[in-house]
Amino acid sequence: MKRLAPLLLLLPFLALMGLLLWAMGCALVQSLGYIPAFGLTELTLDYYQALFTDGTLTASLMLSLKVAFLSALSSTVLGTALCAALLALRRGRRGALLLVRLPILVPHTVTALFLIVLLSQSGLVARALYAGGLIDGQEDFPSLLFSSGGMGMLLAYLWKEIPFVAYFVAALMGSVRDTLGEAACNLGASPVRAFFHITLPLSLPAIGSAFLIIFAYAFGSYEVPLLLGSTLPKALPVQAYLEYTHPDLRHRPYAMAMNGFILLVSLLLALVYAWLLRRKLNAGRVVQ
Amino acid sequence: MRRNPLPALAVAVAGLCILLPVALLAVWSVAGRWPWPELWPESFSLRGFQELFASYNHTGALLLSSVGLSLTAAALATLVGAMTARALAFHSFPGKELVRFGALFPILVPGTVLAMGLHTVFLRLGLADTLAGVVVVHVITALPYTVSILTDVTQACGKNLEEQAAVLGASPARAFLHGTLPALAPGLLSAGSMAFAISYSQYFTTLLLGGGQVRTLSLVMVPYIQSGDRTLASLYALLFVGSALAVFAVLEGLIHLWTGGRKWN
Repeated sequence: MKRLAPLLLLLPFLALMGLLLWAMGCALVQSLGYIPAFGLTELTLDYYQALFTDGTLTASLMLSLKVAFLSALSSTVLGTALCAALLALRRGRRGALLLVRLPILVPHTVTALFLIVLLSQSGLVARALYAGGLIDGQEDFPSLLFSSGGMGMLLAYLWKEIPFVAYFVAALMGSVRDTLGEAACNLGASPVRAFFHITLPLSLPAIGSAFLIIFAYAFGSYEVPLLLGSTLPKALPVQAYLEYTHPDLRHRPYAMAMNGFILLVSLLLALVYAWLLRRKLNAGRVVQ
Repeated sequence: MRRNPLPALAVAVAGLCILLPVALLAVWSVAGRWPWPELWPESFSLRGFQELFASYNHTGALLLSSVGLSLTAAALATLVGAMTARALAFHSFPGKELVRFGALFPILVPGTVLAMGLHTVFLRLGLADTLAGVVVVHVITALPYTVSILTDVTQACGKNLEEQAAVLGASPARAFLHGTLPALAPGLLSAGSMAFAISYSQYFTTLLLGGGQVRTLSLVMVPYIQSGDRTLASLYALLFVGSALAVFAVLEGLIHLWTGGRKWN
C-alpha cells in the first residue's frame, strides 16, 4: 500500500500527460506525411522542407519567430524593471501588486480590443494627434496594428506580459532583496549596486522561466495574430489553422509540420534553458 | 536618505497603461455616436445593453454556462494538482524528476500544437465537439499552475497535523480531512482561482475542441471584436472582465471565511 500510494495519487496526472503525449505524437506523425485515412502513407520530410522553401510559409515563420522573440525579450526586461520598481515602493505596494494582477485576468482577445480602440487609425491616439494638429487625417496615422511587421501583436503581448513578469518574478526577487540585497546595503553597497550585483543575478531563474513561458505562448498563440496581424504574411499558428481546416484534407500535414516546428523550437529553448540553469546551480554549489 | 522618485513614477505609468484602456472601453460601451475625429462621444445610448441582454442572445445563460464550465475545469485541475503535489511532496518514487518536469510541460507546448494534436486524438476517442473534451483540454492547460502552487503549499503545510491525528487513532481519511485539508484550503482556493482565470480566457482550445458545440463568453466575444462594433465588443469585454473579477472576489471571500482571520501564508 505504502508503495502504491504515490502511483494512485499520480494516476489522473499520468492519464492527462498520456493524452498530451499521444496528441503530440499524432501531430508529429501526421507532420511526417503519414495519415492512412487520407491515403497518405509515405513518411517524408517534405512538409518541413516546405516551411523553408515556400516563400509564404518562410515569411510566416520569420514573422512568428521575430514577434515571439521580441515580445519575450522586451516583456522580461520591462517586467523585471517594473517588479524592481514595485518592490522599491514605500507606500501603496499592496494596491499596486493588485493592479498588476488585473492584466493576468484579461484575455488576449480583450487586449486586442484595447489596442484597436486606442491605436488603430480611428483610435483615440490618432484622434488626439489630429486634435493637436499633428496629423491631417486618419491616413496620416501609421497603421501600427495590422502591419506586416507585427507591431500590433508585439504591443498586445507587452500589455499582457509585462505585468505577468512583474508578478511572476516578485516572489523570488522580493525574498532575495529582503535578505541578501539588504545585507549588501548594510555592508555599504548603494541600492543600485546591490540590485545589479546581488538581487538581479539571483532572480535570474524566475526571469528566465518567464522568458520561456512568454516565448512559447507568443510563438503558438492564435488569437492575437488573428485579431491584430496582417493579411500577409500570416503568423504561423494562423497559417497552420488555415491548412488544418483546408477543404483538401491532404493539406493537414502542412499544418502539423508547422505545429511540429513550433514545438521543436520551444522545446529546444527549454532544454538550453534547463542546461544553463543546471550549470549555474552547480557553479553556485562549488562556491558555497 | 533622499527618496528616489523613479520607482513610484514607473509604477504610476504602468498603472495608467493598465487602467486607461479599461476606462476607454467603459466609455465605448455607452457611446451612441462617436465618429472620427471626436475625442468624446457625441451622444450616449444604452443600445449595447439592450442588444446584449436581448432575449435572443441568451447572455445570462451563456454567462452561467461559461462560469460553470470554468469552475468545473478549475476544480478538476485543482484536485489533480493537489494529488500530484502530495505525491511530489511526501513520497519518493522512481521518475520523480520526470513528473516534476512533466507538470510544467503543458506551458511549453504552444496552444495550436496542443489544440490540433488533441483534436486528432479526441476525434478517435469520441471526445471532439463535446463539453467533456473542452474541460479536459482546459484542465491540461491549467495543470502546470495548480501543480506548482500546490507543491509549495503542500510542502509548507507538512504532514505533522495528519500524523498527530493518526497517532491519536484517527483513520488516514479522517486524519487528512481534519488535519491537513483545513491547512491546505487557502492554497487550494488560490490554485483554483488561477485555474479559473486560465480556463475562462481560453479561446482557441475551446474553438477547435468544442467545434462550435461548446459556446463560452470568451468565444462569443471574438466576432464582435473582429466586426468593428466597438460598443458591443466593449460591453462583452467588460462583462467578461467583470464576471471574472466577481468569481475571484467570491473565491477570495471563501479564503477569508475559511481561515477566519487566522494567519496563513
